[in-house]
Amino acid sequence: MTASAAQQALRLGRHSFVPARRLVMGIVNRTPDSFYDRGATWDTGAAMARVHAVVDEGADILDIGGVAAAPGAPVDVAEEIRRTVPFVAAVRDAYPELVISVDTWRHEVGREACLAGADLLNDTWGGQDPQLPAVAAEFGAGLICAHAGDQAPRTRPFRVAYDDVMADILDRTLAQAARATAAGVDPARILIDAAHDFGKNTWQSLEVTRRLGEMVATGWPVLVSLSNKDFIGETLDAPPDRRLTGTLATTAICAWLGARVFRVHQVRETREVLAMVSAIRGERPPARAVRGLA
Amino acid sequence: MITSAVLCPGPPLLVRELTGADPVLPELREACADAVATLLRDRPGAVAVAGPGPVTAPWPGNGRLNVSAFGGQPAAVPDAAVPDATTPDAAVPDAAVPDNPAARPALPPGPGIGAYLLDQAGYRGERLIWSVSADEPVAGCRKLGADLAGRDTSTALLIIGDGSARRGPRAPGHFDERAVAFDAEAQRAVRAGDVRALLDLDPGLARDLMATGRPAWQVLAGALEGCTSLSVEVLYAGDPFGVAYLVATLQPSGTGRSAIRG
Repeated sequence: MTASAAQQALRLGRHSFVPARRLVMGIVNRTPDSFYDRGATWDTGAAMARVHAVVDEGADILDIGGVAAAPGAPVDVAEEIRRTVPFVAAVRDAYPELVISVDTWRHEVGREACLAGADLLNDTWGGQDPQLPAVAAEFGAGLICAHAGDQAPRTRPFRVAYDDVMADILDRTLAQAARATAAGVDPARILIDAAHDFGKNTWQSLEVTRRLGEMVATGWPVLVSLSNKDFIGETLDAPPDRRLTGTLATTAICAWLGARVFRVHQVRETREVLAMVSAIRGERPPARAVRGLA
Repeated sequence: MITSAVLCPGPPLLVRELTGADPVLPELREACADAVATLLRDRPGAVAVAGPGPVTAPWPGNGRLNVSAFGGQPAAVPDAAVPDATTPDAAVPDAAVPDNPAARPALPPGPGIGAYLLDQAGYRGERLIWSVSADEPVAGCRKLGADLAGRDTSTALLIIGDGSARRGPRAPGHFDERAVAFDAEAQRAVRAGDVRALLDLDPGLARDLMATGRPAWQVLAGALEGCTSLSVEVLYAGDPFGVAYLVATLQPSGTGRSAIRG
């Protein structure tokens, strides 16, 4: 490890966020088959209602995705655009200032999404499409550089082994961040993401969590996407609808270790956990302190 | 000679940064600031502070409230900085109050609040700081007040003290039915400028009722005893958290102290 670099302001859309500010990214799936919500927001009306709800609960960022991570019926570029881009435009209309992220690995989708008003491209599959950074650069958008190991999009990990999982994450995400910077993406708009569960078994996701500080020490802002994932389910032997406690516990630890953006299904609960962590770290005062002071 | 006296409560929540995002009782903070401004209006030669503490003893005049003893934000400025000498009141430099808060000794919380209020007001003149023990008998409190009043310098008196902290089921000391009458009598005495009645407050009952202001109030009574007349204004009276708070200014309005001492 080299000496750690200080975290800098993170720019997203028209906003600039200081390092102590912890951001919640609310998930809005435009899919019929995502693992947690199982198509609950496949309908456009339901999806917009979900947007209103997560904004109301305090989401700073929306992450709109058109393709479930798990294997399933193929979704081609045209279909992914059809699912996401008009919706991005509608959300942008409704919320001119809200940071909108689009979860895609494809540059064609990224391009249309940016034209419709997206501020951030969430490249969850870890740089599969080398043309994606140029799209972010062209539109002044941000880019999330994630780690999925050697996995192709929409595949599950199969006997994945690393000499050192964190070393691999750092190698790959920092290389992607460097490529994005070289392509012209504003470095203040680049995040790195270990992508829990992606190309990782449960032990590896737990180790990544334990060692998250090594990512933070690079100076790049760290996003974590933990929400109700399988590593939590396996750890607690809990089905998807009973993983909130584990998600929030993991959220608290990642926040303590310096993660700055939290991609989640449950916005309100996450906000409360982050407010507690920020107060414990002394980065934000309690809402009201009177006990013992009267 | 006592030029003016002020009574303020001593809850740590007077320190704005200790209450978190919510200012909690800004009106109490404002009342204290107004009272202290009144105290300093006639440019006293010195301010004497008396507040509850573990012992009856004088403290260094440059002492400060130890805010960090109550917690607060690690990154927060530990204390209100003493303002630069840009206002008329601050025109006289005083080596006893250095600009670096960290260089100032920590006071017990009671008189510390008094020092804090003076800091907030930008007061840089001479300070006499006393803590008064809850065990201090009435006579000792009264004598300390008389001694402060007997100084040659014109002296303003800043008294820090609270009524009972047992005024309801949510109060720090829960509820004691005797608290209501005790506080009502103390408040009546202050409003009436009835120093005799303040001297009659019973130390044992005050201790039972967690009324930490008793000894300092009796210092006030000792200092004002014999004043021909007092003009009293109450700026705040309430118990929002089950502790009786009283902010008042007491101005000797006659020709000052009479020659009579009790």
